[in-house]
Amino acid sequence: MASLSVVKGFQLASRQAALLSFQSVRSAQVAAATQAQERLKKFSVYRWDPDKPGDKPRMQEYDVDLNTCGPMVLDALIKIKNEIDPTLTFRRSCREGICGSCSMNINGSNTLACLCRIDGASLTKPAKIYPLPHMYIIKDLVPDMNNFYAQYRSVEPYLKRKEKVEYGKEQYIQSIEDRAKLDGLYECILCACCSTSCPSYWWHGDKYLGPAVLMQAYRWMVDSRDHYQTERIARMQDKFSVYKCHTIMNCTVTCPKGLNPAKAIAEIKVLMKSFKKEDLKSEATA
Amino acid sequence: MAALRILRTRALLVSPQLVTRSFLKTDNARTPYAPTAVHTTPQNQNAGQSGMMASTRWKFEHMVTLAMTAAVPTAFITQHPLLDYVLAGCLTLHGHWGMESIFLDYMPGKTLPKVANSCLFGVSVLTFAGLCYFNYNDVGITKAIMMLWS
Repeated sequence: MASLSVVKGFQLASRQAALLSFQSVRSAQVAAATQAQERLKKFSVYRWDPDKPGDKPRMQEYDVDLNTCGPMVLDALIKIKNEIDPTLTFRRSCREGICGSCSMNINGSNTLACLCRIDGASLTKPAKIYPLPHMYIIKDLVPDMNNFYAQYRSVEPYLKRKEKVEYGKEQYIQSIEDRAKLDGLYECILCACCSTSCPSYWWHGDKYLGPAVLMQAYRWMVDSRDHYQTERIARMQDKFSVYKCHTIMNCTVTCPKGLNPAKAIAEIKVLMKSFKKEDLKSEATA
Repeated sequence: MAALRILRTRALLVSPQLVTRSFLKTDNARTPYAPTAVHTTPQNQNAGQSGMMASTRWKFEHMVTLAMTAAVPTAFITQHPLLDYVLAGCLTLHGHWGMESIFLDYMPGKTLPKVANSCLFGVSVLTFAGLCYFNYNDVGITKAIMMLWS
């Protein structure tokens, strides 16, 4: 009993020592940061407030000290909102590139603010931050994603089976090769960076599905467990849904997750090449 | 004492102050933002499209383009009069489809694209007829182009 308490006491002491040393390191860092000169970087941010009648969109400049700010653009935005201007509005959630909320146009290219480093080398050049291009804006950096989500819903992005399914009874087995077909497709987080970088999507956002949604459509076309490939291809049979892709490749260049939507669209075109109307009829009767 | 407590809670429940607290009030004066109209491609959009499937059309367009990569050099090398007619057809179709695609992308509204497309159809027919006339009555397309350098 006594030895146990000694051990406990020792553990406590060592933990306190570790805590103390951590605190001293941390205070040293903070001291160094405050001692160093302020590294002010300009951020030029798109602002528009729908609540002010007759308000016009404008660019507002903020100075952020990079010494007391995290490395990413999202850190700067959060710092601006916390310390300078609480009215600045933007979407963010996970701050590590997995939720897809903070997609915006930074220095001319669509990306996730949380994955985009602040350019600390050129302090005089302001970082320009706009919302996703050619989207209806709700406020400041918040675009209206309704159309994008409705398009995603229209490709039925879920597993569909022809037989009657008893949920929870058994799992659908897939070979390793079939599973490998989904790599590079399922990782998409639907941040809409690609779709909103596509000129074709700018002109035909209502009828052309856009790279993000088309890549997901393809992801379900090639899933070996899905029974509705023919119907999924038939859904694309019009001038706009897929054929308004002119292989501009902006989608692949801009994707913050490093995926290749343009390739997925090309694969859809290949699948559609061998599509016949009879396939649809014979499957319906089978 | 118990009755008093009940009275007090009841008074709290019906307190007009609580009811008129801002967080319980619905703010009717401020109109909520109107969400943009949701447009998605109608499922049956291909139904009204002159029978041909979009993918069939796409295949045809690409076949013509591929054929041209072979037909153009062959026409210049062999100087065969028949290939001049093939060239006339391919070039007209290629230009026609290209312009159609541009109209589809950049022409706003409903009537303007219709007018433009019918004009384009006329121009394309005239172009094809003109090229055929030139092939029949004159030196032909390939020879005419080669004469530019002679």
